[in-house]
Amino acid sequence: MGETMIQVKDLRVNFRAWAGTVQAVRGVNFELKKGETLAIVGESGSGKSVTTKAILGILPSNARITSGEILYNGKDLTKLKEKEFYDIRGKHISLVFQDPLSALNPIQKVGKQICEALKKNEHMSNGEAKKRAIALMEDVGIPEPETKFSQYPFQFSGGMRQRIVIAIALACNPEILICDEPTTALDVTIQSRILDKIKELKAEHDLSVIFITHDLGVVAGIADRVCVMYAGKIVEYGTVDDIFYEPAHPYTWALLSSMPDLDTKEKLFSIPGAPPNMMYPPKGDAFAPRNRYAMEIDFEQEPPFFKVSDTHYAATWLLHPKAPKVELPEVLKHRIQRMKEEREGA
Amino acid sequence: MAKYILKRIAGIFIVLFVVMTAAFFMMRLMPGGILDGVEENLSADMRDLIYAKYNMDKPIWEQYLLFLKGIVTEWDWGVSLKLYVNVSVWDILAERIPITLYLGFLSLLISVPIGIAFGTLAALKKNGIVDHAVSFLVVLFISIPSFVMATGLQYFVAYKWGWFPLIYDDSLPRITTTFLPVLALSFSPIATITRYLRAELSESLNSDYMLLARTKGLTRVQATMRHALRNSLVPVVNVIVPAFISIMGGSLVVESIFGIPGLGGITVRSINVADYSVTLASLIYYTLISLAAILLVDISYGLIDPRIRMGGSKDA
Repeated sequence: MGETMIQVKDLRVNFRAWAGTVQAVRGVNFELKKGETLAIVGESGSGKSVTTKAILGILPSNARITSGEILYNGKDLTKLKEKEFYDIRGKHISLVFQDPLSALNPIQKVGKQICEALKKNEHMSNGEAKKRAIALMEDVGIPEPETKFSQYPFQFSGGMRQRIVIAIALACNPEILICDEPTTALDVTIQSRILDKIKELKAEHDLSVIFITHDLGVVAGIADRVCVMYAGKIVEYGTVDDIFYEPAHPYTWALLSSMPDLDTKEKLFSIPGAPPNMMYPPKGDAFAPRNRYAMEIDFEQEPPFFKVSDTHYAATWLLHPKAPKVELPEVLKHRIQRMKEEREGA
Repeated sequence: MAKYILKRIAGIFIVLFVVMTAAFFMMRLMPGGILDGVEENLSADMRDLIYAKYNMDKPIWEQYLLFLKGIVTEWDWGVSLKLYVNVSVWDILAERIPITLYLGFLSLLISVPIGIAFGTLAALKKNGIVDHAVSFLVVLFISIPSFVMATGLQYFVAYKWGWFPLIYDDSLPRITTTFLPVLALSFSPIATITRYLRAELSESLNSDYMLLARTKGLTRVQATMRHALRNSLVPVVNVIVPAFISIMGGSLVVESIFGIPGLGGITVRSINVADYSVTLASLIYYTLISLAAILLVDISYGLIDPRIRMGGSKDA
């Protein structure tokens, strides 16, 4: 894992809404290294999808990038014109959508939808594109690709449609694949198969992946590094082991505690309250009102990132040398214990 | 598909029969008749003779059966009773239908592409000044009936400025002499199609498949033309039928305003003088053309949207 593929620096995105300005992303920093899978985790509305849309230049028209840079190949993607994106989208950076049921054009044959990308980016002839599309369909695990090539999306199941979307994303051998909750709309058995497929394809095509999800269970299986997002900011980041075994931010604790596992006997934890209204982001730590470990300073001043280890950082005042020592919640301790045992057992 | 079309055609005949029957009885059971206004001057014998000539002395259901029999066996639609006495209704219609169809189809032919162009423009520039301008015109043109438009055009363009003939003139090329009436008929369908397409397209433009098309690397124009536009045409096709029918309805009056010897004018006149056979025949014609338009649209639906075409067969 060496060179940096994408570096996001202090990205801020605002939405102009009827009632005011929504600050969807408020200064996000992260980088994607070659060959790694970076998971971005957070609740709905935490700004995960907006961040990825900014990378691809497909933000809705009422969104504005107010500051920050997205560096890719020495270029700042936030400064690119629509025209310059035509050579990046699909060819270098691709996106897999959340909802395969609505991502495909309902009245066009799936084969044609795959070929379209090939013809545009690789300038293939019809024949070549068809051959490659069928190979791709086979690659993503679609049985009888020759027959399926000339069928319409409504003749496919949800899982099969997501495979087609993945095939489209991979058609032109991109370096970076962004998966925006690719399994959320699918049922659990299909979920694991799609995840395995993504992992397999990632190795095969030497991809760097940004994986957006709200499901920590999915993260554990697929990610190398994890960023936890809350209210438009990253609150904690580290390797997957850092986040799961030594979580440092109370929000990460809360997320981990509210994830059920097979041995959950007690009532499942849920985070009290609701995320803040991003039209009026709160002063201090945005999570403070829902945080039972919140201190006075959390309501006054925003915490900076504190180093936990070389790979692991978290933005919480609890890590300040002067802060009182807080124990992990009991439930979470047990859960982490179980996760560790499970892993050693496996 | 063939089976579907045959089924639909059979359906058309059933509807046509019901309309025909209802129209026949309603017209004949209304007070008044072909001798209104001249009855006092006729002797009773004379009157009976005229009634007998047109089978009006028989019970009404027998008259209806005779009417049907005439059509089925000899394509005999009866004769005009008042407007062109004793001239075959079929001959009257055959002479007038072409010009009315010409007006209707030309107007539709103009409306659909212009409506699609304006609708696309408005959707792409949504909430901008172009969109507001288009939307303003749409409301204006939907609200103004075609006969008001026709009168206005006739007064300004033809009378004041003299660019086009005031009324229909056989000696001029058809396109010049029918230009204003076609224009008058086109405003409302253009506005209707624009309005629908704007709504549909601005929804399609925000759809996930548009985003996917753009993430493939397609340009905005390519993505719009190939993905969003075709998807939003599906519902728009559906307003073409009402648009066409409203064109036909408008031509009833607009033809009279410009003195065009079409079916519209004669239909209105035949109703005014109770020329039953002419009224009935033109009514049947209008029914038939509307049903045919609906059939055509339903078939083209299937061409645009595979989900409708393949709906029944589960060969997936």
